[in-house]
Amino acid sequence: MTEYKFNESMAMFQRAAAVIPSGISGNKNPAFAVPGSFPYFAVRGQDCRYWDVDGNEYIDYLCGYGPIVLGFNHPGIEAAAAKQREVGGVFNHPTPLSVELAEKMVGLIPFADWAAFGRNGSDVTTYAIQAAREYTQRRKIIMAKGAYHGSHAWCTPGHGGLIDEDYRQVLTFTWNDADELADLVKANEGDVAGIILTPYHHPAFGDQILPAPGFLADVRRICDEHDIVLICDDVRAGFRLDIRGSHEYFGFQPDISTYCKAIANGYCVSAIVGRDKLKNAASNVFFTGTYYTSAVEIAAAIACIDILQETKGIEKMLKHGQMLMDGLRKLSESHGVGIRLSGPPSIPYMTFAKETNFRRSQLFSGECAKRGVIFHPHHNWFLMTAHEEEHIQKTLDVADECFGIVKKEFGE
Amino acid sequence: MNKARIKANLYLYAVLPRLEELAKLDDEARRIAGELDLVVQFVVNAGPAVQIAIKNGEIKAHRGKVVKPGVALFFHSCDQLVRMFNQETVIPIPYRGFTKLPLMKKFTRLTEILTRYLEPSDEDLKDPKFKAAHVEMSLMVGMAGAREIADLDPKMQKVVKKLPNGTLLFQVEGGPSAHVIVDNRRIFALNGPISDPVGTLTLKNVDIAADVMAKKVDTFAALGIGDIKVSGLIPLVDEFNALMDRVSYFLMK
Repeated sequence: MTEYKFNESMAMFQRAAAVIPSGISGNKNPAFAVPGSFPYFAVRGQDCRYWDVDGNEYIDYLCGYGPIVLGFNHPGIEAAAAKQREVGGVFNHPTPLSVELAEKMVGLIPFADWAAFGRNGSDVTTYAIQAAREYTQRRKIIMAKGAYHGSHAWCTPGHGGLIDEDYRQVLTFTWNDADELADLVKANEGDVAGIILTPYHHPAFGDQILPAPGFLADVRRICDEHDIVLICDDVRAGFRLDIRGSHEYFGFQPDISTYCKAIANGYCVSAIVGRDKLKNAASNVFFTGTYYTSAVEIAAAIACIDILQETKGIEKMLKHGQMLMDGLRKLSESHGVGIRLSGPPSIPYMTFAKETNFRRSQLFSGECAKRGVIFHPHHNWFLMTAHEEEHIQKTLDVADECFGIVKKEFGE
Repeated sequence: MNKARIKANLYLYAVLPRLEELAKLDDEARRIAGELDLVVQFVVNAGPAVQIAIKNGEIKAHRGKVVKPGVALFFHSCDQLVRMFNQETVIPIPYRGFTKLPLMKKFTRLTEILTRYLEPSDEDLKDPKFKAAHVEMSLMVGMAGAREIADLDPKMQKVVKKLPNGTLLFQVEGGPSAHVIVDNRRIFALNGPISDPVGTLTLKNVDIAADVMAKKVDTFAALGIGDIKVSGLIPLVDEFNALMDRVSYFLMK
């Protein structure tokens, strides 16, 4: 296969670096992938593929870090957004579409009695902990070590611009260790407002870890015993495991759940749903943003949920994700290269068995990118419904060659 | 932990030990070191202590009080030591080695040369050899200082908690390198390379490295451009860099 070049990406990055801090900020900065072996700037997308500024074409398993769930430039989503765009997006008021989406989510998610909308995941995870604090009149929030709940000061994994007070009231425990959680709650008796958990553990720079048998039930019990609000951060996994929310996939019931990414196929909408008992507390929190009620994005969200339901999109992603995982496992065995596959099939991730420093992952992902497949070396991958069997097969052909490169470089 | 204590530890455990490299890299320093047979001890009341041993043209720094010193200087507080390093007029109490005090003139000259390397002028940096030495010593200040930050800086305890175990190599292509070993949140910094590190940060050349040391570089942009490369366990590099940034913060006057 011909290896891609990234000359235009690099030239554009030089321009960016002159006028934008970091050139590209946050997790999309090249430093977090494989600098020099990954595209830096995209120009267009179609179904499960996108093209970068060099004209290189990729089959994508990062999906814009999650949002693209149906495929790039999906006609159903674009039609719904265009229809609303024709009559206006931002007004002094929300449009009836906000009510329609709230009703849809309350009808869809069994425990939900209310819903509200923001733009990004951090909007709603922060709103969730504020609602929990308002409801309980307590300070502390507990989260799992290594979990990502957004870029706001209380939870950012970054270092810059923070003061101790930003995160002093946030405690951590080890995922799947209910005893440690119980001890932490006991040590802070009467001061814990909420426990925020992703439905399964999907840290960056680590294998994904599913909930151990009984763990989530234990968390629920601890919350009930201590009147703590259980928040499910379904921003990353939502709408890829169960249309009713990932808590249903894993069989537990939170008090609040938050969504973003896959809710609107790339249009920026985030959502929070909660139980009736928390509705007044949520109401007391001043939750707003300039674009929170923007109707084009809300229209896209309604269409996205409808299409996912009508097309049984989640079942398709789970099926094709399993096909991808099985194929990678088989190929790795044929090359004698040990791998670990983790996570649910629609949100898979792969690391190499013989290492803990990601050098094989970085080589593998970089070589795949140079051959037209985007697998992130340090972050979980995503399926979208636009991935068809032919794309999976093409992906595996690329992976076959790249496993060979890893074998040659590292031996196992 | 107060700021003066952190600074005192940095000066004694990260800055002063750079005399070790100085004696290897600078001709005048090597000559002076060859003329001395002396152990100088710095002790701060209820604070850090270090011994600088100079013999046969080599300089070694040791934490604490290891051997009987030739000259011992006592500082009644961390603040007093910090003021001395900030070149304010401070007179420590010499409690041992009165007869060897004249030799301290030569020792003081060594520290003056060290200061020049760690706070170089633009003119100094025009000399490639000087610049390479500046980079090597500054790199070691940052890496050795990270240990003190990890131990003492309350603000960085969140970072320290997340610091994974492993070996981390910082290297300049065609230039110096240094590495650290992180073991259960304890940090050990050493000059030179190490094989098979779990994380590597590579600076493209001495010029880039000097600019990074001088905080003239947007490091995330440099990573994208390729002036800085990281590989392996990137969280280790990232968390460690955060500690090194704090070293710079405390050493700024």
